[in-house]
Amino acid sequence: MDRLPRGRHGLSPEFVAQNQRERLITGLTEVLFEVGYQKTTVSLIGRRAAVSKSDFYKHFESKDECFYAAYDSAIERIREQVRTACRRHADEPWPPRVRDALASLLLALAADPPLATLSLVEGLRAGPGMYDRYQAALEGFVAFLREGAPPAPDGGEVPRATDEAIVGGIAALLGRRVQAGETAAIGELLPQVAEFALTPYLGTDEARRIVSAG
Amino acid sequence: MTPARPALPREFVAGHKRRRMMDAMAELTAERGYGATKIADVVSRAGVARKTLYDNFSGKEELFLAAFEATVAEARESVEAACATVAEANGEAVEAGLEALLEFVAEHPAQARMCMVEAISATPATAALYEQAIQEFVRLLREGTPPARNRPETLEETLVGGVVWVLQQRIRNDETEVVGRLLPELSGFVLSPYRGVGKPGA
Repeated sequence: MDRLPRGRHGLSPEFVAQNQRERLITGLTEVLFEVGYQKTTVSLIGRRAAVSKSDFYKHFESKDECFYAAYDSAIERIREQVRTACRRHADEPWPPRVRDALASLLLALAADPPLATLSLVEGLRAGPGMYDRYQAALEGFVAFLREGAPPAPDGGEVPRATDEAIVGGIAALLGRRVQAGETAAIGELLPQVAEFALTPYLGTDEARRIVSAG
Repeated sequence: MTPARPALPREFVAGHKRRRMMDAMAELTAERGYGATKIADVVSRAGVARKTLYDNFSGKEELFLAAFEATVAEARESVEAACATVAEANGEAVEAGLEALLEFVAEHPAQARMCMVEAISATPATAALYEQAIQEFVRLLREGTPPARNRPETLEETLVGGVVWVLQQRIRNDETEVVGRLLPELSGFVLSPYRGVGKPGA
C-alpha cells in the first residue's frame, strides 16, 4: 500500500480515508510478523503505515479493533483464494477438489508469511475477540469441506466432530510450522495434509490414490 | 495439654495449601480469564495468607504454570494408566486413553479450561508450556498406536491437534460434562488412519 502524495492532490476524503485504513491494516500485519502481538503498538503500526496516531484513532478505537479488522481481511483473502480454487475445480468430484482446495490454501499461506502468522498463530494468542474469529474462520472451512462430501466408507455419515477435528488438526499443524518459521515450506505438507483430510471419508488407500494422482 | 484436633504433619498441610492455591487459580482463570484474575482473589478463594502464596510462588504467572503442570501430569497419568490396561499397542489402547482424557476433562472443567483455552493466550511462557504439553500427547499417541508403513510423519501431530480443537470448542461452550459422548466419533477419527478403514466398495 503506497503512501499518498503530500499536499494538494485532489483525492477525495473517502479515498484518502480508505487508503489510510488499508495501510494501517497492512502495517499491523507486517509489524506483528516482525515483533509479535505483545510488542505491536499503535505507534509502531502508525509509523509503518505513515499514518499519525490521531489519524489511527479516527479509524480504530483501539489496537485490538485494528487487529480484528486485519484479521478479518486476512481470512477473507485466504477464503477468496480457496473459493477460487474450488470454483476452478467445480467439475471435479469431491476428493480431488478437496485436494486442490488444500493446495491453494497452503500456497496462499506459504507465499505470505505475515498473513500466515496473523491468521494461524496470533489469532489464537491474542485473547477472546481474536479467538472467536479464528473459530469462525475454521467453521467456514468446515463448511467448505462438507460441501458435496461423500458418506463414510462404512456407508454412514461422517460425524460432525470429525470435520471439526480435520480442520482443527490441519490448522494446528500449519500454525506450528508457521510459528517455527517454516512458512515458506508449508506447501511440502500437501500430501500429508490431503491424506489426513480425505482418510475419514475414503479410507487410507483411496485417500493416498487421490493424493498421488494430484 | 492435648490439642483439640490431632495436628496434621506439616508437609501435608503445606501440600494441601499449595493444591488449594492451584485449584483457586484454575477456577478463577476459568471464570474470568487470566488477565482479570488477581492475586488477592486467589488468596481469598484458597483461604490462605498472601504471604503463603508468595512463599510458594513468585507470583501469578508461576502459580499458573505450576497449576498447569500439575493438571497435565494428572491427565497424562490417567491416560497412561488407561492405556496400560490394554496389553498391546493397538486401537483399544488408544480408545481407552481417549476415554480417560474425555473423562478427565468432564470431571475437571476449570482445569481443562485453564490448560486448553486460557494457557494459549495468557503469557508467552504459558503458551510455550501449552505447546510442550501438546507434544507430550503426540508422543503418547505415537507410542500407543500400531506400527504402520508409510504413515505420514505429521499424522499424530494433526490428530492430536484435531482432538484438542474439538475439546476446546466444547470447553468454550461450557459443554464439558457431555464430552464423554464424543468418544465414538473421536476414536473413529483418531483410528481411521491406522485401520485404513474399509476401502470403498470392498
